[in-house]
Amino acid sequence: MSDPVTPPEAGELLRALAHLAEPPGPAHPTLAEALGLPAPPDAATHTDLFGFQLYPYASVYLGSEGMIGGEAEERISGFWRAVGREVPPEPDHLASLMGLYAALGEEEAELAAEPGAEARVTLVARSRRALLEEHLAPWVFAFLERIEELGGTFHARWAEMLRGCLLHELARGGAIASRPVHLEVAPPLPDPRDEGAAPFMTALLAPVRSGVILTRADLARIARALELGLRAGERRYALKHLMGQAAPDVLAALAEEAERQADLHAARSAPIGAPASFLEARARGTAELLRTLAGAARASELAESDGTAGETTPATLESRGS
Amino acid sequence: MTHDELNQRVSAARAEVEARGETFYPGASRVHLASFPPKERWDDWVELDSKAWPERVEKRYMLVPTTCFNCESACGLLAYVDRDTLQVRKFEGNPEHPGSRGRNCAKGPATINQITDPDRILHPLKRAGRRGEGKWERVSWDEALDDIAGRIRTAMNEDRHDQVMYHVGRPGEDGYTTRMLAAWGVDGHNSHTNVCSSGARAGYHWWMGMDRPSPDHANAAVIVLVSSHLETGHYFNPHAQRIVEGKKNGAKLIVLDTRLSNTATHADHWLSPYPGSEPAIFLAVASWMLQEGRYDREYVRRWWNWGEYMEAVHGEPEASFDRFEEVLKGTYEGYTFEFAAAESGLDADELRVVAETIASAGTRLATHNWRSAGSGNLGGWQVARTLTFLNALLGALATEGGTFPNSWNRFSPRPPRLPHQHPKRWNEVLWPREYPLSLMEMSYLMPHLMRDQDAFVDVYFTRVYNPVWTNPDGFSWVEMLSDAKRIGLHVAMTPTWNETAYFADYVLPMGHSSERHDIVSYEQYDGQWVGFRQPVLRTARTRMGETLTDTRQANPGEVWEENEFWIELTWRIDPDGSLGIREFFESVERPGEKMTVEEYYRWIFENSVPGLPEAAAAEGISPLEYMRRYGAFEVERKVGRVHERPVPDAELEDVRVDEDGRVYSRAPVPPSPKAPGGTKIDPDVEGRRRVGVRVDGEIVRGWPTPSGKLEFWSRTVAEWGWPELAIPTYVKSHIHPEKLESDQMPLISTFRVPVQIHTRSANAKWLDEIAHTNPLWIHPADAARVGVARTGDLVRVEGEIGYFVLKAWITEGIRPGVVACSHHMGRWKPEGQPGQRLGMMTVALGQEGSQWSLRPTEHGGPFESPDPDTMRVWWTDVGVHQNLTHAVHPDPVSGMHCWHQAVRVRPAEPDDQPGDVSVDVARARATYQDWLAMARSADEHSPDGTRRPYWMLRPVRPEREAYRLPERRTPVGV
Repeated sequence: MSDPVTPPEAGELLRALAHLAEPPGPAHPTLAEALGLPAPPDAATHTDLFGFQLYPYASVYLGSEGMIGGEAEERISGFWRAVGREVPPEPDHLASLMGLYAALGEEEAELAAEPGAEARVTLVARSRRALLEEHLAPWVFAFLERIEELGGTFHARWAEMLRGCLLHELARGGAIASRPVHLEVAPPLPDPRDEGAAPFMTALLAPVRSGVILTRADLARIARALELGLRAGERRYALKHLMGQAAPDVLAALAEEAERQADLHAARSAPIGAPASFLEARARGTAELLRTLAGAARASELAESDGTAGETTPATLESRGS
Repeated sequence: MTHDELNQRVSAARAEVEARGETFYPGASRVHLASFPPKERWDDWVELDSKAWPERVEKRYMLVPTTCFNCESACGLLAYVDRDTLQVRKFEGNPEHPGSRGRNCAKGPATINQITDPDRILHPLKRAGRRGEGKWERVSWDEALDDIAGRIRTAMNEDRHDQVMYHVGRPGEDGYTTRMLAAWGVDGHNSHTNVCSSGARAGYHWWMGMDRPSPDHANAAVIVLVSSHLETGHYFNPHAQRIVEGKKNGAKLIVLDTRLSNTATHADHWLSPYPGSEPAIFLAVASWMLQEGRYDREYVRRWWNWGEYMEAVHGEPEASFDRFEEVLKGTYEGYTFEFAAAESGLDADELRVVAETIASAGTRLATHNWRSAGSGNLGGWQVARTLTFLNALLGALATEGGTFPNSWNRFSPRPPRLPHQHPKRWNEVLWPREYPLSLMEMSYLMPHLMRDQDAFVDVYFTRVYNPVWTNPDGFSWVEMLSDAKRIGLHVAMTPTWNETAYFADYVLPMGHSSERHDIVSYEQYDGQWVGFRQPVLRTARTRMGETLTDTRQANPGEVWEENEFWIELTWRIDPDGSLGIREFFESVERPGEKMTVEEYYRWIFENSVPGLPEAAAAEGISPLEYMRRYGAFEVERKVGRVHERPVPDAELEDVRVDEDGRVYSRAPVPPSPKAPGGTKIDPDVEGRRRVGVRVDGEIVRGWPTPSGKLEFWSRTVAEWGWPELAIPTYVKSHIHPEKLESDQMPLISTFRVPVQIHTRSANAKWLDEIAHTNPLWIHPADAARVGVARTGDLVRVEGEIGYFVLKAWITEGIRPGVVACSHHMGRWKPEGQPGQRLGMMTVALGQEGSQWSLRPTEHGGPFESPDPDTMRVWWTDVGVHQNLTHAVHPDPVSGMHCWHQAVRVRPAEPDDQPGDVSVDVARARATYQDWLAMARSADEHSPDGTRRPYWMLRPVRPEREAYRLPERRTPVGV
């Protein structure tokens, strides 16, 4: 990857990549060919990746609930309004955000050709940068790397290309110096020994709180490794039942995954800056808490086998907190 | 590969795909309309047959666009034509349509019900018994055409052109028929507008010289709507989607509606005023803006005709703008929030908050009044006039997010031939001298005016119009239509049976939206587009290689389209060209031969729609093929402030600027792709035409008003008898509390539910299932007071000429002290008549002297037909025809029928049935005369010896000489 790309030419590439996050349609083969990507997979593959593993919505990664919609989506809607655009039905979908980013780039280029529009050019340029720094960078790089890990060949190549493209865009303004406020205000992971299991589970599955993106595939991998039964259902349901089977081992495996993702965040902190450092800290904190809980759970199990019941553990909280 | 290279590769791929006329990005569902088939696949679209589920059976369709005809919005439709059976299977939205953008209300897809209606009229019918008896015989089109044409030809030969009349409801087309009537030399265009929108139009017309608003809702900061009707009926869908966009972008929505309408439920401020007090509210807002200096002084100085006003009204020709402001503030200082609160019953503090909100909009104030209060009240035209006052104060006219005049946001293309003659004779029945300022024809007074003038109409066409049912005082219409001394031949052109068609001599079946050609264009945002309606099966079969020369070859039965009908009729009226009217429909390409619709539209699309030939060429197709393929074309977007545009030098030749700044030039009118129309501003005394106005030294286009400015003060209104109403003011309605007895309440009937239209949707089973009756909205407090215990109880509503019986709906969604009943239900057919069974009751009509009655003998319900769904009709109540009990209320200025009624509500009598109606037409006649007495006739008030201000709009404009007032008429039969 190479020289700086100036808008609006960059818009074409971004739009094309964004469109490939949409359900497969007639334009996909043409786009894939133009981009030198393998043939797009079928609709079922697309649905499995974006509908069951990695949801392409900013609100999932930036919202305290870890779900589509809510305050995080509303915040992004506000951004659309602030830049004078009609808010689309799904304002925080990756394709919508990329489309907006491309559109702002085009607007900037058009204005740049207008005499006397310097102030407006600056305004649009800053808006575009704000979109990248506040609503894309804090989640999209981690999201795309997880696509590269979990997706098939096509999606891995696609994610790599989009990540490279966005890193390139980010590099034009340098790494992000300060954390977006909405990261600051996201509450950290609570200790289940203080607040119960349910809030803990919710927070663990909310990336902005835990610093970790936990997918169904991750839970399946842990279940396989620990030879546990995986109950089919939403992630919270599956996790609850994994905990019920072998809490110390599951907690330890989760801690290991959190530590791994913390390392990935750390590796990104140079090009991305403050948001990556923030998420690294959250992931390390999560890993530490999970290890502590795993240790406590093991001690509790030993105590139970000794007949001396210990403090509350996640395993016992599982039934209390649900 | 670098990013640049990747960019270039994608660009190249896109260019290649788009060069083929195909869609590169079909669009993401969250951003565009991905659920629509890409347009390049419209010729052969494959879907799974839902009825075959769980089998995967493929159905192949050809998708052919047309334009909806179920209201005036003209939204785009896509007909799914089954390629195997060549039948239309369903209608969806057309994503290529700039106004509707692929979105439709329920009425669009329900077109499939109408074209498959088992009771629709499929062949020309001729009356076999006496009028209204219900005996019909099938005749050929040739027989009907020859009979009608012969009668018209005789009238023309005997110089009785004014005895030919065309009475239209929804035009649904852009000037085809009005131009034809002008070519015939017939001043017989009779619209429904004075029972519909004249009140609002008049208010706009006297400000701007254009008679409809076009609010830019999507870009507004504040939206003010005085209309439930607009957003649930007229332009409902194109406007509603933009209002929602505006709201999503942060706009505040203010709705004035006495009822909690669909629109009101979305409002930030829902104001439920006493009906008729709306102008008092707007004047209070305006007064506050003036006193607080919350208006755009510079705009007012530049664009209002304040100088003319100061000279004419205050005798101060040299008055400064500061002096005008002083006068203006003084004029309106009495319109306080407290005054408006007392009139409207609203809270003064709430009005103050609303005023603050409106003033905060700046130039992004989008306002709209259509029917509603503008059509309900005496002086209702002041609703639009006072509402536009607010826009004019803020300079929010023709601005982004503001309100545009309609003419700048629509595009009517020039046809291949224009009429080169004007009617010589003035039609006194339609344009009576008692109402010289009437914005449109006094259509609903026809039974009374015919009687007053002892008039006779030899050939009377009703077309998509049902005056017996739609107009007030319907029994007077029945009497007139039944009287051979008044109506010689009544030709009802309609796709479906209606109450008026029962009293016709011929019933001629005309096509629905997928069975006819028309061009349409409406003001729905700041842009201009042209929509094309086409017979989709004719287009589909032509595309598959057949040669069809007549739309009847593709339509069901012998259903025709009006375009071809009028061409054929014109040629039969004037077979040898001696009357000089046949040439209007002669081929341009083949002189002496008949024009075909194919040629007519080909010529227009090739010559009169800027940008279309280029767009078509880019896809390698002809302009006509482009329109047949996509159904619509956007001519311009972001039209902006036309009034501020400099007049080009080429139009400035031997210029004279008069003392009021009006600029006249001898330069000829430059060629325009648009059809001529609009106001007619007189030339100066030396024959120069007006090209603009000089403002601050610059010659700009200005407004098409006599002054060239926004007319805060209307010289026209002042000089034609109404000086006290010449500036925006407040007229107390005929249902003002001061004018009601203590036991009377206003009845609001100027609304309907969004899934029904006036008279043409009763044959749509889906729409009927959603809405099939019209109960009386009554507040719980009123229900308790008049003794109505529960929803569903029968009540009698007694008005000035009779009563009707219906069920009550007790709801807090209406202001206490006011009742309401929607006007789109209560359809009926007389016993013994054919007609549709969906949505209609069968009734016995009774007459004893002047006393008429209507009593249902069979309500709605299931019936056997080729459509098994008709056996599944689960409802029997189809409402009540309340308009029969409404006397005519002509506003003496605008001519608008003032719909609101003063009524008494009480529990029904033991023998009463829902749907019962009783009316005394003698009382109706007396009420007409009471209102007529309020009029100020041109005989006494014309300032120049003419019947009507020449500059004002008129659908068919007679010769100038016909405007001259004749000798005073002696009324007869009064």
